[in-house]
Amino acid sequence: MRLAAEGRESFRGGGQAGGVGAMARRQKAAAAGKRGPPAALLSPPSSEDEAPEEVSFGVAKEAAETERKLVGEAARRHRELLKEKRRRRQELFTEQKKRKLLPDAVLKELAAAPPARADGRAAAANRGKHGGDGAAKQRRGQAQRQVKTDKQRKGARSKGNYTAVRLKDQSLTGLHLQLAKDFLNTQLYGPDTNRAQANEFFSLENKKNPVKKAAVQFVDKSWGQEKKQRATRFKKHWLSTQIKNQV
Amino acid sequence: MGEFEVHRVRFFGLVPAGVRCLACEPRGGRLALARTDGAVEVYNFAANYFQERVIPGNEARSVEALCWAAGDRLFGAGLGGDITEYDLARLCAARSVDGCGGPIWSMAANSTGTQLAIGCEDGSVKLFQVVPGGIQFERNLDRRKGRILCLSWHPSDTHIAAGSIDILRVFDVCSGQTVQRIMVNYHVQKVKRECIVWSIAFLSSGTVVTSDSFGRVQFWDWERGTLLESHTVSTSAVLSLAVSEKEDSIIVGTSTGATYQFQLLPVKMGSLEKRWVRTKPFQHHTHDVRAVAHSSTALISGGLDAQLVIRPLMEKMQKKGYDAALRKFTFPHRRLVSCARKARLLLFQFSQHLELWRLGSTNKTGKDGEVLPLCRMPEHLVQLKSKGPEHIYCSCVSPCGSWVAYSTASRFHLYRVQYEGDSISVKKVPKVPKLLPPAYQLQFSADSGSLFVASARGSVHVLQLLELGGCKLLHTFRPPSGSPEAVYLLAASADGHWVAAVSGDWAIHIYNLKCFKHHCAVPAYSCAVTALAIHPVTNNLVIAYSDQQLFEFSIPEKQYTAWSRMVQNCGLHRVWLERDSPITHITFNPKNPSHILLHDIYMFCVLDKSLPLPDNSALLMNQSTLKQLPENARQRQLHAFKICKKFQPLLFADLLDENCLVMVERPIMDIKTQLPLPIQQKKFGT
Repeated sequence: MRLAAEGRESFRGGGQAGGVGAMARRQKAAAAGKRGPPAALLSPPSSEDEAPEEVSFGVAKEAAETERKLVGEAARRHRELLKEKRRRRQELFTEQKKRKLLPDAVLKELAAAPPARADGRAAAANRGKHGGDGAAKQRRGQAQRQVKTDKQRKGARSKGNYTAVRLKDQSLTGLHLQLAKDFLNTQLYGPDTNRAQANEFFSLENKKNPVKKAAVQFVDKSWGQEKKQRATRFKKHWLSTQIKNQV
Repeated sequence: MGEFEVHRVRFFGLVPAGVRCLACEPRGGRLALARTDGAVEVYNFAANYFQERVIPGNEARSVEALCWAAGDRLFGAGLGGDITEYDLARLCAARSVDGCGGPIWSMAANSTGTQLAIGCEDGSVKLFQVVPGGIQFERNLDRRKGRILCLSWHPSDTHIAAGSIDILRVFDVCSGQTVQRIMVNYHVQKVKRECIVWSIAFLSSGTVVTSDSFGRVQFWDWERGTLLESHTVSTSAVLSLAVSEKEDSIIVGTSTGATYQFQLLPVKMGSLEKRWVRTKPFQHHTHDVRAVAHSSTALISGGLDAQLVIRPLMEKMQKKGYDAALRKFTFPHRRLVSCARKARLLLFQFSQHLELWRLGSTNKTGKDGEVLPLCRMPEHLVQLKSKGPEHIYCSCVSPCGSWVAYSTASRFHLYRVQYEGDSISVKKVPKVPKLLPPAYQLQFSADSGSLFVASARGSVHVLQLLELGGCKLLHTFRPPSGSPEAVYLLAASADGHWVAAVSGDWAIHIYNLKCFKHHCAVPAYSCAVTALAIHPVTNNLVIAYSDQQLFEFSIPEKQYTAWSRMVQNCGLHRVWLERDSPITHITFNPKNPSHILLHDIYMFCVLDKSLPLPDNSALLMNQSTLKQLPENARQRQLHAFKICKKFQPLLFADLLDENCLVMVERPIMDIKTQLPLPIQQKKFGT
């Protein structure tokens, strides 16, 4: 009997004896089963008949406090562990990214290239005027090629649906002219007018002839226009990544 | 006769602009034509329908109406709001007056040619007086809402009928008031479209004829405001209408490309009551017919497919001959391609840019009719864009290929082209001498050392081209008796001794370049010159006229050659004289001095002066029969004209070297697929 009671005490009061793990387990069970079955049910069946033990308020309060402290510490340690893991992973990523980019020296050179390019071109032109030796022309050619690729890159980025016009160019006669032209266009080529595509119109003859022929524009160059454009853009991008990787 | 390797070029992407307005000159046999790009052309009926004057267009100029006034002055008005007078001697737009009514949709001259009425966007009809210096605003007629799309004067000049949207109005000219207003819409419940009156005509009997967007041609009595007759000719709009001078025949043009003739015929044989009957349908065009005209003997229509069709009326023709044949004009009657023979380059002239191409080459040979594979493809070397809205008048490339020149209405440009291996550089020549623009024709000399510039008043400027890339004016030739017209054709001799120039009054003058003096003038002929060239060896000037006559004039001897006199005595073959298109280029073969190579749009011919001329009983195009004959039979049937009709439509043909020809073709279907959309045709079974 006594042993059972002790066991019960130790179970209920908890904590001073026993390892962290066991304690944690018991606390977890306690936390999980806050509203769960009372300790009386979990104790061995022989002690069910007895009345619960009386514990003083102060002791219980202390026990609860220590319990809470321990739980808090464990959680904090857990969080710190996770933080540590995250930091390590982030460092790994930054290192990988650094490895992917060109070395600093090359980047600095490229950043400094635009001002140097203009001077380079002017110098090459001057040299070209006087003599015209092959080397100068080659340099000019290279500079021009660089300018071209730069422009292409810039163009690929800023592709908007806008046009810039000067207000000075927009005059009243221009507006009247535009309205008149729009009227003419809607009357002749508007929605009601029953117009046919050139291919359909001119292929009628080919189809009605005794010897049937193919349509006038059998292959239309505008088919799959978007797909072709996407394919060229992808090819450009892929080639540039390949070059970067090799560097 | 010869085997040639032919470079068949089909990459000249010329798309001629559609025909927008037509105006017949009241007295003479001339037709003014305006295109959608603002170009104005004048065709001379007497000179075998030759396109004698061309005023290139302008991006800022749109021509919606064209009319002749005060004899032979030509006026045009367009959506820009200006009335422009065209100077046909100097081939430019001379003066322009603002109509002050917004875009101008229509213009008509009264029967005496002293007043012009314009119909504007704001719904007003304005009257202008034609005065010797230009035109002067007279007054406004009553203005109502709705843009005036078409106008017509009554033959007595007392009233004007104007067509608008849903409405037709008649004005009294003296008071300026609207005396009648007739609604022309389609009285059917479900149709919600508005009825556009595209064209109108006022007959002297008081009948107003209108054509509208519902495909109807209607005859109205304007005083009572009632509809006399209504004919539905088409499901699509009827865009244009023209009445003959005698007012017994009307031609209308529709959006589907069909044209119809209406005639005023008696109801029964011998009865006095007459009615308008739709008589002849024609389908000459594939696209909208926006302009029609009725001359005294022919129906003329111009469509957005860039074709001008002249259909002579059989009942007006005295006899059935070539005069009664249908004439169709699609391509200009001038050269738009220049060739640099030694460098094998072609320069294509478009309305606002030039393209320089290098021909491909092959190193294989083959039999007659075989297609040889290319070892190097033709390359597009340079594209020169002209700045500004003006279109290009003329262009030329030097025989060595290193100079390119072109001229617009206000500026002359000269470029130096340098080839370094695979790369080309084009540099503009600065400090070009200030000549009075425009240059109507440009021609480089055979040694590429000078440039001849054809200018106004019959003058020809000689510019010397310097090696370092500059140029200076050497001399200006003028005809001894002066000439008000501009020079439009030039030819230079191969030895650099002579230059020949043809001006708008059809006079040919020859100038000596060694002593800078006028040498002689070719005897006057009653027809326009379409091509001329100077033989490299004999210095004979070969001239082709628009009535298909050929002459050879010896420059050193200042008289026609014996061969030319023989041709005139025997006469040319009937089939040769009945060709539709003029000869636009003449060239020679240096290895065979008796050969003359010429071409027009539908044939290429090698003329061998040493062979006899064919008479009318012989077959002119006998190349295919000659090929099948044995050698001795062939000798008997040979004649001077060796014609090849394999390459059509031919814009340019030239001899590159002794065994090599270049032919620039422009298939019509390639043009038609790039034009604005045609009206759909529902055919059974498709």
